[in-house]
Amino acid sequence: MKRLLSIMLGLVLVGTMLSACGNSGNNNSPQASESAAPSQESAQASETTSAAPEKKDLTLSYLASVDWIKEPEMKLAEKFEEQTGIHIDYQIVPADQYLNVLKAKMAAGEAPDIFGGQSGKFDLGPLYDVENNAADLTNEEWVKREDPLFVEQATWKSKVYGLTIWDPSSSWVIVYNKKIFEQLGLSVPKSYEEFLKVSEAIKASGVTPIYEPVSDGWHHVLWFPELGVRYEELAPGLADKLNTNQETFANSSVLEQSLTQFNELATKGYFGENAFSNTYADTEKNMASGKYAMTVYGIGLPAQIEAAVPGSSASDYGFFPIPLLDNQGLNISPGAPSKFISSNSKYVEEAKQYFNYLTQPDNLQYLLDNEAKFTTLNFPGVKAKFTAEQNAFFETYGKKSGTVYQTAVNYLNPQWTDMGKDMAAMMSKQLTPKDILKNIDKRRLQQAKTAQDPNWK
Amino acid sequence: MTRKIYPFYFIAIALGIYIIFTVVPSLMGIYLSFTDWNSYSREIHFIGLDNFKTIFSSNENYMHGINNTVIFTISTIILKTMIGLLLAILVNKGIRLKNFHRVILFLPAIIPMLVVGIIFKSIFNPEYGLINETLRAIGLDQWTQHWLTDVNWAFKSIIAVDVWKGAGYIMVILLAGIQAISHSYYEAADIDGAGAWKKFRFITVPLLMPALMVTTVLNLLYGLKIFDTVYVLTNGGPGYATDVVYTQVFGQFTLGSYGVGTALITVLFLIMSILGYFAIKLMSREEQNG
Repeated sequence: MKRLLSIMLGLVLVGTMLSACGNSGNNNSPQASESAAPSQESAQASETTSAAPEKKDLTLSYLASVDWIKEPEMKLAEKFEEQTGIHIDYQIVPADQYLNVLKAKMAAGEAPDIFGGQSGKFDLGPLYDVENNAADLTNEEWVKREDPLFVEQATWKSKVYGLTIWDPSSSWVIVYNKKIFEQLGLSVPKSYEEFLKVSEAIKASGVTPIYEPVSDGWHHVLWFPELGVRYEELAPGLADKLNTNQETFANSSVLEQSLTQFNELATKGYFGENAFSNTYADTEKNMASGKYAMTVYGIGLPAQIEAAVPGSSASDYGFFPIPLLDNQGLNISPGAPSKFISSNSKYVEEAKQYFNYLTQPDNLQYLLDNEAKFTTLNFPGVKAKFTAEQNAFFETYGKKSGTVYQTAVNYLNPQWTDMGKDMAAMMSKQLTPKDILKNIDKRRLQQAKTAQDPNWK
Repeated sequence: MTRKIYPFYFIAIALGIYIIFTVVPSLMGIYLSFTDWNSYSREIHFIGLDNFKTIFSSNENYMHGINNTVIFTISTIILKTMIGLLLAILVNKGIRLKNFHRVILFLPAIIPMLVVGIIFKSIFNPEYGLINETLRAIGLDQWTQHWLTDVNWAFKSIIAVDVWKGAGYIMVILLAGIQAISHSYYEAADIDGAGAWKKFRFITVPLLMPALMVTTVLNLLYGLKIFDTVYVLTNGGPGYATDVVYTQVFGQFTLGSYGVGTALITVLFLIMSILGYFAIKLMSREEQNG
C-alpha cells in the first residue's frame, strides 16, 4: 500500500511539472499571453481605482540606453511622483548592450513598463516588433502637437507607438576647437582634401586631430550613414533604389568611397592611439583638455563642455559638416531616441499619464532650459536657445539638407552595432570597405527575407 | 550490486526534474537548430542542415569563433594547471601565514566576473591604466600596449585575466590532492636520497593524477563554455578579433536569428559531449587502476 502511494505521489508530482511545463510552452504563442494579460490588467486596474482614487503607490520600470534620459527628465519624474504617487524606476543600460537586454527581456516576457528605442519608420517592426510589444498611442493628445516629421518616424502601419522628445536641430556635425585652429592658422575645411590637410597640420603639432570613441560601439558608425545628403547629391535616387532592392551597398561606388575615406582617417592616425578605448561619456572632458581638436557631435556640445568642465567656454567651439566626399550639406535625422509603452504592462494607463505629463508645455520648456544638449524641441511653442555660432552654422550650411541614411534606407538602422563591429574591424585591418558593404547587404537580405519583403523575392 | 538498498522509484522525482529541466530543453535546442526560428516571424519551419551549412561556410566568421574557443580552452588548461600546481606546492607547507596566502590566492575565484571585467578594463587602459603607467614609471615605455584594443594583444589579455581568476580555484583542488598524499612516501624517498625534483616527479605527480584529471575536465568544460570573460572585457572586439562561440551565439540572438544561434550551441554541445565522454572514460580507468 505504502509503495503504491509513493508511486502515485511521484506520478502526480511529475505530472504537475509536465503540465506546468506544457503551459509555459504555450505561452510562446501570442494568443495565450494576450488573453492572460488583459485579465490581469483589469484586475490590477480595478484594485488601484478602488483602493487609491488620487495617489497611486506604484512603480513604472523604464529601460533605456545611456544618454537617452536627460537629467531634467528625471527631475520631472520626481515632480510627477509627488503629484501622482507613480514612481519611475529608470534602468539605464550601456549603449552597446541595450538592444540585447531589451530583446532578452521582451522574449522572456519581462518587458519593462516603458522602454526606450530609436524611432525610424522602417525599424519599429523589425527592431521592437511594436505591433506585439508596444501600446498604441495614436489617440494621445500630444501626437497632434509633436512635429509631424518625428511622428512619422514613430509610426508603424499608420499607428503611432512612440513619443519622441528630442532636439530637431541635433544633426551630427564636426565640432572643432577654434583656439587650436587659430593657433595653427587653419581655416574650416570645405572639402575632404582640405580636411586631410587640416588634420595633418593638427597631428604635426602634437594634438590628436579627432576624438573618436570607438569603444562605445556606435559612435564611429555615424561617419558613414549620416552623409545621406551627400550620397543623394552624388548618386541621385540611391536611397530609393536601395529600398526597392534595385541597387546594393556593395555595388555603390559612392558608399565605398565614403568608407574608404573614413578608413584613411583611421590609418593616417587622425583618431589618435586611444580611439579604441576612448568613451563617448568622456567627450566633454577630452575636448576641453585641448588634446583633441575635433569630434563628431551635436551642436549642443559647446554648451555641454562649458557646463561640465570649469573654466571652459562654449564660444571656443565652432561647427562644420562631416566633410567626407566633400560634403557641405546638412544631415537631418528625424529619427531619435523615443519612449514606448509595453503593451504587456499592467500599467499602460499610468505610463500614458506620464507621457502626458512630460509633454505639457511647461514641462517641455523646463526640459529644454535645463538640458545643455538641447537647443530646441520638436514641439511648437517652446522657446529655443540658439547661440550666434549655431545660427551662423545653420545659415551657412542649412540651405542644402538631406535625410540621413539610417532613416532614409530600410533595414539599415537595426544593424547599427553590427556595422560598428565591421568598421572597428576595418580600422584594425581585419576587413576592407568592400567587405563591410557586402556584410551590410547580407544582413539587409536576411531582414528583408524574414520580413517577407516583396522586393527581395 | 546484488543487494538493492533502495527501490528504483526513490529517484523518480530527481529523475523527473532532471529530464524536464535538462534533457528536454537540450533536445528541444537540438531540434530548433534544424529550424529557421527567428524573432521576426512566429512560425517555425524545418530547414534541415541549412544553419549548419551557414556555420561551416567560408563566407562566415563562425569558424573563427570556434577556433578562438579551442585556443582559449587549451591555453587556459595548460596555464591554470601549471600555475595552480606551482601555487599549491608553494602554499603546501614550510611558509609562514600559509592560510592567509591560500585565501589571498583563492580570492579572485570568488569575485564576480563583472567586477573583474570593470577592474581589468581600468588596469588595461592604455592611457592611465595601472599596467602601462607602471611600465612607463620604470622606463619600459616600449613595452606598453593597447592590451584590450590591439588585435595582437586582446585575446592574450583575456586569457591572462581568466588564468588570474581561475588559477586559485585549481590550486585549492590540487592542494587537497597533495595533502592527501601520505608522508611515508616522501620519508622513504628521503632515505633513498631523492632530491626535491625527483620526489615531485615520481611521487607527487603520479599520486596527484586523479586530482589533475578532475581539474583538467573542469577547465576543459569551463573553457569551451567561455562567455563572460570575453563579454565584459572586449565583447568580441576589436572588430571580431576575440569572438568566441558564445559571444557569436549572443550576437545571433540579438540579430533575431535564433536558429543559427542554437545551431552553434549544438555544434559546441557535440564537441563537449565527445570530449567529456573520453575524459570521464579516462578518469574511471584511473579509478579502476588505482
